[in-house]
Amino acid sequence: MDKTWRVIDTGLRPAAENIALNRALLEARQAGEIPNTLRFLRFRPSALLGYHQSAEQELDLDYCRANNIAVQRRITGGGAIYFDETQVGWELYLTKEILGCADMEQIARRICVAAARGISALGVEARYRPRNDIEVEGKKISGTGGAFEGNALMYQGTLLLRFDVEKMLRVLRIPAEKLSDKAISSARERVTNLADLLDQVPDLEVVKAALTEAFAREFGVSFVPGNLAAAELARYQDALAEIDHPDWVNLIDLPAADMPILQASRKFPGGLLRVSLAFDARAGRIRQVWFSGDFFVSPKRAVVDLEAVLRNVQLDGLEEIIRSFFARQQADLLMLTPDDFAAVIRQALG
Amino acid sequence: MALVRGCNFPDDLYYNVDDNVWARHESDGTIVVGMTTYSCALSGEIVAWTAKKVGRVVDQNKSTGTVESGKWVGPVKAPVSGEIAAINEAAVAVPSTINADPYGAGWLVRMKPYDWAGESSSLLTGLAAAEAFEAKMQTEGFPGCA
Repeated sequence: MDKTWRVIDTGLRPAAENIALNRALLEARQAGEIPNTLRFLRFRPSALLGYHQSAEQELDLDYCRANNIAVQRRITGGGAIYFDETQVGWELYLTKEILGCADMEQIARRICVAAARGISALGVEARYRPRNDIEVEGKKISGTGGAFEGNALMYQGTLLLRFDVEKMLRVLRIPAEKLSDKAISSARERVTNLADLLDQVPDLEVVKAALTEAFAREFGVSFVPGNLAAAELARYQDALAEIDHPDWVNLIDLPAADMPILQASRKFPGGLLRVSLAFDARAGRIRQVWFSGDFFVSPKRAVVDLEAVLRNVQLDGLEEIIRSFFARQQADLLMLTPDDFAAVIRQALG
Repeated sequence: MALVRGCNFPDDLYYNVDDNVWARHESDGTIVVGMTTYSCALSGEIVAWTAKKVGRVVDQNKSTGTVESGKWVGPVKAPVSGEIAAINEAAVAVPSTINADPYGAGWLVRMKPYDWAGESSSLLTGLAAAEAFEAKMQTEGFPGCA
């Protein structure tokens, strides 16, 4: 096995170029044209959809247009994100052989745990939260996702150095009352960034070095700096022609009405529980849930962890998912019960 | 039916072991394509399936569409070349059908193959398929279908 991997930094680019490079590098890795690679990247302000998402359903397109925010579709799964110069992206391009495992969840876990170690080296306590987040004190600091092609795979994540929560709330159509103080503070309970956690935001080169070192340790390899190869650049031009095009961005085009944002609140003996959720009516799935209200749960992060567990779940299993979450989690609910969380969701669904 | 590490592989299907897909040759000459139980086990719960449009021509080992599970996105490859003749809309609407019944209700696309007689010779059946899947599971460190 080759113990020397390549590390590249493709700099600050528009979203279309970055996504086209995803496609080009993944294909080039599959074709054996490039070595295993760690890539760092940054974005000009962009709203990035998950591969199977619809812009109408996920984004405030008028706001994006008015504020020069590019709308693009990733080649990886998961949810829409707002990505700008305040974040850095990291990506691994590998073959399955070097992982000795083909189970997608285990691969994601291994890479995320390593990335969390790298982030922790910067002076915070970052941890992997299944299935795809890296969190600090229960707040998300890095979201991740992957794509595969034959025996090659690409796994990517963000890292929030600083972050404009208000902008994120404006760009994304998420289940929160837009721009109210409550929404902003409730978003701050769910996402964090290095600037909020550290006295001083580390230099980008320091961040890159910490992540590179963590992946080097995890895989027992050393990284050698490199540049994009001719084969990649050729594939990149082809990919860019496809991706920098409305047909690609509108590949999945579903009306916002098919994914309503629903709300409900209810007073239980354990307190007032409010829920706001995005519901995919077509698939019968909850896409995203936010709980708020006036109730006691300790540790507080249990609520956010529950929200993470409830991402993209089929409605049928709702009660069971919540019950087994609280059975695993050592959380003190006082008078509130797991079924109360399910009940308020059911109420929102009408 | 072959059972390999708890994953079943029906005898009447043709398999591309590398791509982890199956084809069933129907009496009208079309083929039905889907993911294997092994592929479903590796993926975990499938949350989205988007097929190429009906009428699109797909080469052998190229993508018939895209599945998503646990934020991973990847192609489902065509076992042979042909034209997409139908899409399983039930699997599009409820993608977990694919996990629940990958050889039945969870089929993915129907294709009109261009050269079934020629290209199907590259696919494996029966014992040969079972042995190849066992070898693949060995390489990939797969403990078994639950």
